[in-house]
Amino acid sequence: MPEFDLLMPQTLPEALEMLGDRAPDLTPLAGGTNVIVYMREDRHRYKMLMDLTRLNELHGVRREDGHLVLGSATTIAELLTDPLIAEHGALLRQAAAVFASPLVRNRATVGGNLVDASPAADTAPPLLVMNAEVELASQKGVRRVPMDEFMVGVNETLRQPEELLVSIRWPLPATRSAGGFSKIGLRKGAVCSVVSAAVMVEKDEDGLCQSARIALGAVATRPIRAYAAEEILVGQPLKPQIIDLAGQLSAETVKPIDDIRGSADYRRRMVEVLVRRLLSRAAQEIVPRE
Amino acid sequence: MKYKAKPLPPVELPDLRVVGKPLRRVDALGKAVGSTVYAGDFSMPNMLHGKVFRSSQPSARIKRLDVSKARELPGVICVLTAKDLPDAKLVTDMPGQTGQKRRAGTDAPVLASEVIRYRGEPIALVAAETLDIAEQALERIEIEYDTLPGVYDPLEAMKPGAPVVYEPDNIVATWKIRKGDVQAGMAMADMIIENTFSVPFVDHAYLEPEAGMAWMDDQNVIHIRVCTQVVEHFRSIARALGVPQNKIHIQGTFLGGGFGGKEDITVEIFLALLAKYTHRPVRLAYSREESIMAHSKRHPFIITHHTGVKRNGRITAAEIEMISDAGAYPYLSPYVLLYATVTACGPYRVEHLKVDSTSVATNNPFTSAFRGFGAAQACVAYEQQMDEIAKALDMDPLDVRRANYLSTGDRNATGQQMKSAVWLEETATRALETLGEKTSECGPIKVGQGFASYMQSYGRITWFHDTSRAWVGLELDGTAVIRCGVPDLGGGQVNTLCQIASEVLGVPLENFIIYSTDSALTPLAGTTTATRQLYMSGSAVHQAASEIRRVLLEYAQLHFEQDIENLELADGKVYVKSDPENFLPLAELTKMCAAEGLPLSNLALFKAPFTDPIDPETGQGDIFPDFTFGAHAVEVAVDTETGEITLLKSVGCHDVGRAINPIAVEGQIQGGSTQGLGYALMEEVQVVEGVIQTPSLSEYLIPTSRDLPTTKAIILESGTGLGPFGAKGIGEPSLTPAAPAVANALTNALGVRIKDLPLTPEKVLAAIEEAKNA
Repeated sequence: MPEFDLLMPQTLPEALEMLGDRAPDLTPLAGGTNVIVYMREDRHRYKMLMDLTRLNELHGVRREDGHLVLGSATTIAELLTDPLIAEHGALLRQAAAVFASPLVRNRATVGGNLVDASPAADTAPPLLVMNAEVELASQKGVRRVPMDEFMVGVNETLRQPEELLVSIRWPLPATRSAGGFSKIGLRKGAVCSVVSAAVMVEKDEDGLCQSARIALGAVATRPIRAYAAEEILVGQPLKPQIIDLAGQLSAETVKPIDDIRGSADYRRRMVEVLVRRLLSRAAQEIVPRE
Repeated sequence: MKYKAKPLPPVELPDLRVVGKPLRRVDALGKAVGSTVYAGDFSMPNMLHGKVFRSSQPSARIKRLDVSKARELPGVICVLTAKDLPDAKLVTDMPGQTGQKRRAGTDAPVLASEVIRYRGEPIALVAAETLDIAEQALERIEIEYDTLPGVYDPLEAMKPGAPVVYEPDNIVATWKIRKGDVQAGMAMADMIIENTFSVPFVDHAYLEPEAGMAWMDDQNVIHIRVCTQVVEHFRSIARALGVPQNKIHIQGTFLGGGFGGKEDITVEIFLALLAKYTHRPVRLAYSREESIMAHSKRHPFIITHHTGVKRNGRITAAEIEMISDAGAYPYLSPYVLLYATVTACGPYRVEHLKVDSTSVATNNPFTSAFRGFGAAQACVAYEQQMDEIAKALDMDPLDVRRANYLSTGDRNATGQQMKSAVWLEETATRALETLGEKTSECGPIKVGQGFASYMQSYGRITWFHDTSRAWVGLELDGTAVIRCGVPDLGGGQVNTLCQIASEVLGVPLENFIIYSTDSALTPLAGTTTATRQLYMSGSAVHQAASEIRRVLLEYAQLHFEQDIENLELADGKVYVKSDPENFLPLAELTKMCAAEGLPLSNLALFKAPFTDPIDPETGQGDIFPDFTFGAHAVEVAVDTETGEITLLKSVGCHDVGRAINPIAVEGQIQGGSTQGLGYALMEEVQVVEGVIQTPSLSEYLIPTSRDLPTTKAIILESGTGLGPFGAKGIGEPSLTPAAPAVANALTNALGVRIKDLPLTPEKVLAAIEEAKNA
């Protein structure tokens, strides 16, 4: 592994200053489950890395103005035990449970998973359907970017080199809402998604679909929303026929590739299956009006 | 319940004190607390770091190779190329044995000089003061290739006009079996069933990538500390280095798994060369990625069965064709192919049999030994074929097998008589009974059950004239020492030897120390391969310990004034059977014997049965000492919308002859079946035009704890094996039936068969679709 310099800021302002001075030569390092692998593979050479683990500002989960705010250095393993996540981020927790392996989950962070911007990033579909935003901080201040805009391509995001992803926030899910996350891999643990999907639906008082969001992973250059499928659900009762149609429309939205994990055709067909299954389950989960 | 366990024939096993008990293995504590030292753990003062420069091309001629810039880099001590090692070959003969007739000129060069035959072929070696410098040196090696047309498909490679990997053609080895009259046998058949099955390249994926270190001493002996299944490789290393055989000393270590992948020479020859040229200690350890690129793979096979059957399920004749991809160099391909050929028709009575098998050179990664050694690939085919026969005849799969199973006294495909117990129905029915009722299906989830029977040899090909040696000695305090060159791969090889000697000598297991896997300081025990160490070295230890027992009892006879039959050695004592209070501690007895000048140690040599090679035209003759028989059964759930398979239940039932340590046997059955189940479900080294597409464990998937249920191990003991106390072998057999059991269960669930492993979700879905459209 090539040599590199490691900076170890103790506070967020210090870290932002380091980034401001040294970007783009300075790369933030959280769990290292991607950066270290890329270095070992010689896929990237980093001149300088900045360790984020000592920045308390990037840790913790809190409620704030009807939102849940998650520090970007929260590990995937922490998602599985945090009570606020259990209550207001069930989908993210579902994704965390099938994310890589326990060893990787102990190190990998939510922020790192998003900044790495793999099309197969397992935290992305849940955050997309929860209408999450990421908060990017620099010495100039903080800006919020909606999840659906943040990732722009394979390993590409809107984060500027001098910016640090500090937190992820999403509105607390509505009471008559339900959702789920599901992935298909070539084995049941420690595996990259061949296809992943998340859905979130909300019913109105009459039991009709008030809003629907569908997100899909590993089927395009970035995790994407299936807007066309979402639209046809709104205002409808969530019955099998319309759900089937939403599955088909989702499959039409995607632009998957053939790779060693699966063919484009298989991925497209699995989108349909996963979306249909997740929507059916979510529709049943929402407790009808008393 | 559909299947009932067939009652076992009466067996009288002697009552033993230590053997057969689930004792804590002598190597357990060190592994549990992390104090066991592995080959990659060593370092020495003044040590250099080695690296290997490898080909980026699968088929090419080296146009220009310039290592001068690497040599000039400060901190680089040595860069070696083929020019420095004239004619150095990796001799792939079965080490220390006789009998191989391999084609001249096909041994792999230690370093490629002119022609590159596979991607990853070693071209140069570097030794430098630090690992970083060694890596930088690799980047400074300049090479230009003239790419050559390659051949990447064994079927293509067999055609006239195909690029030739080495002259005169791509045929690496062929075997034939001609038994009875196949034409007449087929004429007797009511139906002929034909199927072609295929299996992929597989990686051993051991926990421990290849590693070691070497140094030269004041007598110019090169010592090599390495993880290897074969310390006898010191001889071929000496030949390649041009030094006498007594100047290469291999000190093996405990292995973090071998599975055949450390049967051929790996890092040890590079270490020896670098130590010789630098006169300094050198360490070389592969990363996972380099390991996957550098070591052998399991042979892909294409196997076609034509089976003639009567309506009652009886096989009248079989014609079987096997083709294996040997990759770029033969290594052990001829023998892997032989194992496949011998077991081509499985553990079944086939009077009229014709087998033609061919191993073919390609520019793919080279293939060699892998647990099961060809017999596992054969089983994937013959056990799926048996289920297809059952389906065609509308019979129960067990009934079809029952009509054809070999029995003791029958002759196998090569005419060798089965002399030990052949518990095929006994093992199959137990595995199936334990599997129990089928789990109920739900929505798109279909459930299926399946099983496979098998035969797998233990011990080497008998015309290799296999031997093993072991030394056993008692100390004056009543403790004991074993010296035996056996490499322990993690399968419990050294513990087994201690447990056997403990039984014979009455020395408690914890009072044993064993020195193993050293080519100079421990008596040579032969390779830890071919499921042979319990049989071979276990017998050698038994022999040596028995000789010491005789000495002890003969002396005790005088001391107690009792007949030998009235004396017993156990629990660290010698005592009178009828009066156990009348005893002498072994510490006392050994001191007395020593004072009398009696030998308290013994070096024993154990020989397997020796035979002549089989008739090359008919393939008839004895080939193996004996076989292990058993079965594996599984239940799978298949998601018919996604193609995903979930393994619900897994049972392995094997007649191991005698379980020396039942926990170790259970470990072998669970570990072996895990590899077999992975073979069925997901494992595949994907190779495109000679380039591995699954270069690390992120892409090359093996089962995780979430993928498999615990395999239930059912251990049967016929007591009829050739090993100590009637033991057979279980190392390889545990793997062999697992993969076809999964394939059969999948077909049971879906009604369609996928004839090409692994059974990926995508293939499952395509098969369902095809059946729907048909």
